[in-house]
Amino acid sequence: MSPSPKRDLLPGTLDMLILKALSAQAMHGYGIAQHLQRLSQEVIRVEEGSLYPALQRMRQKGWIKAEWRQSPNNQRARYYTLTPQGRKHLGQEESGFAELVAAIARIMKPA
Amino acid sequence: MREWLARLRDWFRREQLDRELREELEFHRTRLERDAGDNAGAERGYAARRRLGNLTRIREEARERWSWPWLDTLQQDVRYALRGLRRSPGFTATVVLTLGLGIGANAAMFGVLDRLMLRPFPYLLDAARVHRVFLRYRDRDRDRLESAMEYTRYLDFQRWAAGFDRWAGFSQGTTAVGTGAAARERQVGRVSGTFFGFFDARPALGRFFGPAEDVPPVGAPVVVLSYAFWQSEYGGRDVVGQPLQVGSISTTIIGVAPRGFIGLGDPVPPDVYLPITTYAGHEGGPDDRKTYYTQYHWGWMGILARRNPGTSIAAANAGLSAAYRKSWESERAQDPEITPAELARPAAVVGSVKSAAGPEASLEAKTLRWVMGVAVIVLLIACANVANLMLARVLRRRRETAVRLALGVSRGRLLRQAVTESLLLGLLGCGAGLLIAELGGGTLRRVFVDEAATIPVLTDWRTLGVAIGFALLAGLFTGLGSVLFVASEDLAGSLKSGAREGTYHRSRARSGLLVIQGALSVVLLVGAGLFVRSLNHVRRLRLGYEAEPVLLVMQSMRGTQLSDTQRVALGRRLLETGRALPGVEHASLVSSIPFWSTSGTDLYVAGIDSVRRLGRFTYQTATTDYFATIGTRILRGRGFSEADRAGAPRVAVISEAMGTVLWPGRDPLGQCMRVGSDTVPCTTVVGIAENAAQRSLVETQPFRYYLPLEQFRPTRGWALLLRLRADPAGQAEPVRRSLQREMPGQSYVTAIPLDDVLAQQRRSWQAGATMFVAFGALALVVAAVGLYGVIGYNVAQRTHELGVRIALGAQARDVVRLVVGQGIRFATAGVGLGLLLALVAAKWIQPLLFQQPARDPLTYGVVAGVLVAVALAASALPARRATRADPNAALRSD
Repeated sequence: MSPSPKRDLLPGTLDMLILKALSAQAMHGYGIAQHLQRLSQEVIRVEEGSLYPALQRMRQKGWIKAEWRQSPNNQRARYYTLTPQGRKHLGQEESGFAELVAAIARIMKPA
Repeated sequence: MREWLARLRDWFRREQLDRELREELEFHRTRLERDAGDNAGAERGYAARRRLGNLTRIREEARERWSWPWLDTLQQDVRYALRGLRRSPGFTATVVLTLGLGIGANAAMFGVLDRLMLRPFPYLLDAARVHRVFLRYRDRDRDRLESAMEYTRYLDFQRWAAGFDRWAGFSQGTTAVGTGAAARERQVGRVSGTFFGFFDARPALGRFFGPAEDVPPVGAPVVVLSYAFWQSEYGGRDVVGQPLQVGSISTTIIGVAPRGFIGLGDPVPPDVYLPITTYAGHEGGPDDRKTYYTQYHWGWMGILARRNPGTSIAAANAGLSAAYRKSWESERAQDPEITPAELARPAAVVGSVKSAAGPEASLEAKTLRWVMGVAVIVLLIACANVANLMLARVLRRRRETAVRLALGVSRGRLLRQAVTESLLLGLLGCGAGLLIAELGGGTLRRVFVDEAATIPVLTDWRTLGVAIGFALLAGLFTGLGSVLFVASEDLAGSLKSGAREGTYHRSRARSGLLVIQGALSVVLLVGAGLFVRSLNHVRRLRLGYEAEPVLLVMQSMRGTQLSDTQRVALGRRLLETGRALPGVEHASLVSSIPFWSTSGTDLYVAGIDSVRRLGRFTYQTATTDYFATIGTRILRGRGFSEADRAGAPRVAVISEAMGTVLWPGRDPLGQCMRVGSDTVPCTTVVGIAENAAQRSLVETQPFRYYLPLEQFRPTRGWALLLRLRADPAGQAEPVRRSLQREMPGQSYVTAIPLDDVLAQQRRSWQAGATMFVAFGALALVVAAVGLYGVIGYNVAQRTHELGVRIALGAQARDVVRLVVGQGIRFATAGVGLGLLLALVAAKWIQPLLFQQPARDPLTYGVVAGVLVAVALAASALPARRATRADPNAALRSD
């Protein structure tokens, strides 16, 4: 049905991806989903069913803040921004992830 | 943790969050549709719509982040309970008030008990190893326990006792602090330079004094202020280096103790702290201030000691006792008349720093424990009553419960609701109780501790915690009945047969609760009766004088130096002025005050080797009018006359008991005794006075002699007794003002009714009587309300049956007999059980009573009568209602 096969996310990476997306600019939920989909060239599709619960969880953890703003085409939308705590958490996740990826890469391409 | 707080916060605004999420998803949907529409791909449009179908699920999952199901249920239960309680305000008010009285009594009592016995002193380090030293020895076949010691003894212990790493001496008393109009009687802590080392406290300002400033014979004139005194008198400004007059000592302020520091002054904290040797060297008696650190004449201070970490209490006691024996020998080396150690068997022990919890606990402290027990009983009665009321309510709501069960509400939910309701009532009662405790706290304080003590309830976490604990226990206990009922009863049956059956069920649990309430009330009332009678005995006790009409005036010299002649002249002037005041009948200058001070000196009587071996003989020196002033009766011979002046033949009046012990079988009148030394001329016994209590209300050795002040140490007449025609308490202030004019320099007088001094002695009995009566009355009221409630409920249940009876020809009298008879049966069962309990408890309460057998038939009888009478009254009202049961209504309703 989709042009390219849909891949499941590695567990735990969704939070990191959302934080990364928000680190550039404040976005609403739909924007985050679109952003991730576009950047991954449609490989990653974030299910709304996991996106919104994840946003609520991260808000309660204090990583992101939510506020209502006007979207460019003048609709009221809920925008999420990164908090300093969230930025710190993103840093930890990123370095951890880089190590993990490098380790996996070494195993997969032994030559 | 933070996350949980955020979740909790979200729970409180969950409705808003729900709304926001809905809007957010709505926005998501429109964007998705529009984007899909833009791309015009049919497949993708379909996919978008397919995903829309999941919106509800998304919402549910997101919502989980702020939904707390059990919190929702709890909130519902609380709302349900509150609604139920609002619907029956009478029931709620009764329960809250009943529990409030019970919890309030306990909170207030705990506040006092905690202060006196449990609460550790603020800042005290290693409290478990810090002890007060107590001495035990035998004196004339009686075991004695002593905590007031000599400074010399304190030095001995430090030198000789093994097993301790820190020592401190302390005492506390009131002294005038400040000068001129600002001078007030203040609590002065006299503490050694090592004292502050026992605490982990840093001065709020300046510094504490140390051992270098606390050295005999006279320590440095420095003073440390308490934080509260600093705030109230100086407004917290920098006071270091400023002068402060403390008694006769011109001191310099060197520091301020931190907030909350009270030393060992609980419940009355010191206002200022003075080095103990500074106090002793300046303010001790004329001889004492020179010899207090070398001799054993002045026992006035407490010793604080800290055990080495590795030393057990037994080893510490052994070390102390060895040191005490050595010290005893050293005292005997100074004074061979002291009983040899083999007979006196001196031993020293460590005890609690809290005097009420230590081995020397006063009768008040023991009474206090009992009263705390009584407060718990009051709470139990209150709980029984509330449990009864709640059970009645559950029975009344049987139908409602059955319907709810039938409609599918789980039993678990019903149970939870029942518990919620009773806990809620408990907490409401707790609120009421804390208010009651805060308001009633003043009374307790007057009864048990010093006026100056502050015992807050609402701001004290320990008391609050205990009150809430009591409330939760009470809530669980009172809810238990209802819970068991819901869990066990076959409610479907009641739905089938209807709430009103032809007969009424007697609830065994409710009857049992009622009987227990009655029994406990009986126990308390018996206690109240015993304490009241005991207090009456104390009041009526012939002390050997009459304190009621007497006003006591004391001089404080505050360092104003007077020569002996000036001193005697001042005394004369006060005496003359006092006698001339309106309303004064008699006046006398004296050297000692009952229960405050006694004096003794060596006595020599021909034919007796050592008078001291026969007991403790104390003297009072007084001016002519003494016996008329204080009301001590002269049994034979004469009192003093104007002729007994300095230079005239020496005379004495002795107590009856003293005559018997010194001259057994002979007439003491005309006998010769030598006072102070065996070379002075004879003092002739000219009168026999009745025995008078001097050191305790029941004096075992009232050996006392009276000497004319002019003939023996005329400078020692420091107190003035005035016998007034009426109202000594009201006259105290005018009398003080008149006499103050005679006082030179900084010196001043204070005036208090002599009866106040005695009131201190009666305190424990007074406390017992007051508290037992208060709690007994409370218990009686609660029990009466309970009985009234139960009988009233039964009557309501039996309306149908009673109506049938009346229809069949029963007279009003028969109906009344039926209802009242039930009340009386409850009462009799309660009385029987209660009297039995009282009989059992009698042997423990006996030591607290004064010449009053704890198994007193009169008290028991009166209490039984009172309870039955109250039961009669409580069932009379429902009985009247019963006679008005309408036979018509009864017969037609089916």
